[in-house]
Amino acid sequence: MISLLRQLSWPELRHHPWRHGAALLAVMLGVALAFSVQLINQSALSEFSSAVRAVNGVPDFELRAQRDGFDEALYARVAAHPQVAIASPVIEVETFAFDTRGERVALKIVGLDALVAGPLSPALMPRPAEGADRYALLAPDAIFLNASAQQRLGDRVQVQTPSGSATLRTQGSIAAQGAALAVMDIAGVQTRFGWTGRLSRIDVRLHAGAGRAQVLRELELPAGVRAAAPDEAAQRVSNVSRAYRVNLTVLALVALFTGAFLVFSILSLSVAKRQPQLALLGVLGLSGRERLALVVAESALLGLAGSVLGLLLGTALAALALRLLAGDLGGGYFPGVAPQLQFDAVSALVYGALGVVAAVIGGWMPARAAQQLAPAQALKGLSAGNAGALPAWVGPLLLVVGVLLALAPPIAEIPLAAYVSVACLMLGGIACVPSAVGALLAGIAPPSNALALLAVERARHQRHTATIAVAGVVASLSLAVALTVMVASFRDSVTQWLDTVLPADLYVRAGSSLTAGDVVTLPAEMPARAERLPGVQRASAQRVTSVQLDPARPAVVLIARAIDDPAKSLPLIGELVPLPAGALGVFVSEAMVSLYGAAPGTTLTLPLSGRNTSVFVRGVWRDYARQHGAIAMPDTDYRRLTGDTRVNDLAISLQPGANPSTVQHDLRALATELGLDGALLEFASVSEIRATSLRIFDRSFAVTYWLQAVAIAIGLFGIAASFSAQVLARRKEFGLLAHLGLTRAQVLRVVAAEGAVWTAAGALLGLLLGLAVSVVLVKVVNPQSFHWTMDLLLPWTRLAALCAAVMVAGTLTAWLAARSAAGRQMALAVKEDW
Amino acid sequence: MNGHLLVEGLAKRYGEAAVFSDVDLTVARGEFVAILGESGVGKSTLLNCIAGLDDVAAGRVRIDGTDITTLPEPRQALFRREHLGFVFQAFHVLPHLSVAHNVGLPLLLQGRPDATRVQAVLAAVGLADLGQRLPQTLSGGQLQRVAIARALVHRPQLILADEPTGNLDPGTAERVMDLLSAQVRAEGAACVLVTHSRAAAARADRVLTLTATGMRDGLPGTA
Repeated sequence: MISLLRQLSWPELRHHPWRHGAALLAVMLGVALAFSVQLINQSALSEFSSAVRAVNGVPDFELRAQRDGFDEALYARVAAHPQVAIASPVIEVETFAFDTRGERVALKIVGLDALVAGPLSPALMPRPAEGADRYALLAPDAIFLNASAQQRLGDRVQVQTPSGSATLRTQGSIAAQGAALAVMDIAGVQTRFGWTGRLSRIDVRLHAGAGRAQVLRELELPAGVRAAAPDEAAQRVSNVSRAYRVNLTVLALVALFTGAFLVFSILSLSVAKRQPQLALLGVLGLSGRERLALVVAESALLGLAGSVLGLLLGTALAALALRLLAGDLGGGYFPGVAPQLQFDAVSALVYGALGVVAAVIGGWMPARAAQQLAPAQALKGLSAGNAGALPAWVGPLLLVVGVLLALAPPIAEIPLAAYVSVACLMLGGIACVPSAVGALLAGIAPPSNALALLAVERARHQRHTATIAVAGVVASLSLAVALTVMVASFRDSVTQWLDTVLPADLYVRAGSSLTAGDVVTLPAEMPARAERLPGVQRASAQRVTSVQLDPARPAVVLIARAIDDPAKSLPLIGELVPLPAGALGVFVSEAMVSLYGAAPGTTLTLPLSGRNTSVFVRGVWRDYARQHGAIAMPDTDYRRLTGDTRVNDLAISLQPGANPSTVQHDLRALATELGLDGALLEFASVSEIRATSLRIFDRSFAVTYWLQAVAIAIGLFGIAASFSAQVLARRKEFGLLAHLGLTRAQVLRVVAAEGAVWTAAGALLGLLLGLAVSVVLVKVVNPQSFHWTMDLLLPWTRLAALCAAVMVAGTLTAWLAARSAAGRQMALAVKEDW
Repeated sequence: MNGHLLVEGLAKRYGEAAVFSDVDLTVARGEFVAILGESGVGKSTLLNCIAGLDDVAAGRVRIDGTDITTLPEPRQALFRREHLGFVFQAFHVLPHLSVAHNVGLPLLLQGRPDATRVQAVLAAVGLADLGQRLPQTLSGGQLQRVAIARALVHRPQLILADEPTGNLDPGTAERVMDLLSAQVRAEGAACVLVTHSRAAAARADRVLTLTATGMRDGLPGTA
């Protein structure tokens, strides 16, 4: 085999270095993209988990309640238990600090008792700065910052508090990495942030040999308090980011698929061109299996070379992306994490092997063609060109399997069946190209025009060869169409959703963060007073908090607001269920239905203020802001149940002709009058919010756009390579036609017309296939991955432009290749000994 | 056209390397001329020059009074289409066209398809029942007969045959040559046959030998 590779394959590769280089490049790009996504995901998740573990420490378990904590009296009982070795009380507060430029910095403050927390949370232990007071650990206004916070904040840190703001003194540092984090004495946090008498959690370490379950039973925890595993938060992030990470990986594997396809195109035509060689070898004694092994070996070597280069490139890409785009490539799952690249040899082996496998898969059909060619016919130059063709039933079967898989439910909340469905639809569509063309041509009688006869009969009897080029058009265009339709549908749905959820002209808040929503609030009287300001027509208040329904899942957002007319104020999907007498009605987002089974007509149990409250689900609304679930309930019911009168957001509708700047000024003055520094207010017009939202949307799809461009580029190159090689392989045919009296211009016209017809057929098929795949992406993959739906939108102008670009590229390529092949010397190609 | 082929002082070079020079040839209407010569002397190249498919370094080629060497490429193609027929050593039958379509291709190129003529020519070469078959199903001898039929279907006045029996066994070669010479004479066409085979050349009216310095009468090696 080695000598055959050296004597047959190496000269072929040297004779066509660019063509084989293109196949190698395609495999390299595919492996690079897939491997870089894997490295980024792995590095980011690992770093984030490490940061979370540093914050949470290493206790045996944590006692936690809902967001507003629990009575601190529990701490005394826990600490006094004979099996408890250490009990460390902790308060966690999310707020904002102001950096040296006056810009807001999200800051998590952990309140600790430094005298007990050391063994359980070493990374959070305050390290007094040189020269600091040794009792600074216990000072109520002392703060200790981690590296991220130190970079942004100075010696005196101004933080937002429920009553406005407070200035704290930086007295040292902590070792914990990750997003901006600070530690204070627990009493100082209680006083300044309104946590008097309450704790967020108690970290517990038991004596050696103590049974956790027995201890918990004996502690008789109050309602709403539970024992949580220390890495629960890290596991939650891993779970919820899994769909996003899998989606990214699948997109990257798409690039590998197009790489495999290019290998298929190049090797198919290489085998076709070398048919006389292979036929001669067959006559001389090289068996079919050996010819198969030869071509498989060629593709494996291409794949191996491409994989090695791809792993190197992928590592470099990952390092660059981590520096420029953070660990989640814009997805927002790992906030504040700037991870270092963590190279994983096992992953490298896996993705390297994937590259080789992809290339071998791409080379399999050409290898089969080499195995099945009839040496005698091939030596006469009469091989039908259909050797290695798939049986006719393969394509339709794959399409049917693809449709059935699209109906399957998710597996571990990942749309794996849907991904396989997309692959089956793509491969099935490509496999159907010969049959589809045959069916199209079956009804066409042989034309009486010579040029048309040549083109049609070639298409009818040698369509397998043209299929290779057409399949390239189908593969690249269908992917591009599917992604274009998906992104356009999503963007349009988001735009329409924004129109519904942003009915006001101006939005006001004291700080933009869900996690800081208990600290950064507006004065309770502000909504009513704001409505009396000149220029204000209406002021609607909203309280945003969260409830933990499932420890394995992120908290569900709870939005308390006025819901006078649900159909107008919420982007509802489906029917509204009438509210039973005496029931409390709520409206849930689509994610609540997927994740918690909270369909209309069912009841939910919400832990509010230490009590479980049963609520009735009246309807479902579309929510693109909160992937993990949201519940909207009337603010009057919320206040009655919780006594929580805090307000986070104000939506201001202006009177006609009102000046927004004047209204903003008046609102700041009003806030100051009510005890909140007006300078802390943040304003955003509806157009600003819409523009920012769409900018975030576009950024999160940046990787998708890039992958789409790579797929199209590889596909177009495949088309160019396929047509070029096909035309070159037909030089003897062109020579004969020249002998028979065709002019060079006529030969060029025949080939260009064939190219145009084939790419048009491919474009039509690619468009249809792409639309089918887009339906799977929009109606199955997205809902199963992210628990939201969207309306299908077909951007016909963009789709037409894509099809036109592919057709122009294909026709131009065929014409250029014919110009090269149909040169002055084409007539000499018929010479037997040339 | 009276099929008069006149070659005067033809020379061919590839770069500095001369292939042949001072080639003179006259073929009368209906005459069958065989040209022999050593391998590499340029017999096939000579045919290509005669057909206007290759450039010449010197000399002229007139076919029925038309100087083909001075025609632009499109007109050369049109001339071949109307007035010349070709038979090749390697048959060069298009695999994606049926036998009948292969044979009728020259008529289609002239814009005057004629199924009757195609069938008649197929019958003349003994392939009357094979018109709808694809070439992959035919033997070498049958394929060469298809090529002969294609060369004659449009009634050209000059047939150029390049080693038509080179790929055939002796028995088949003899039958193919019988057929070619019979059909050429039946159609009244002139024929220039280039071959290694003296047996094939024996059917010709005249035998010439091509050398690097010109054409001479008689078989190679004779005075």
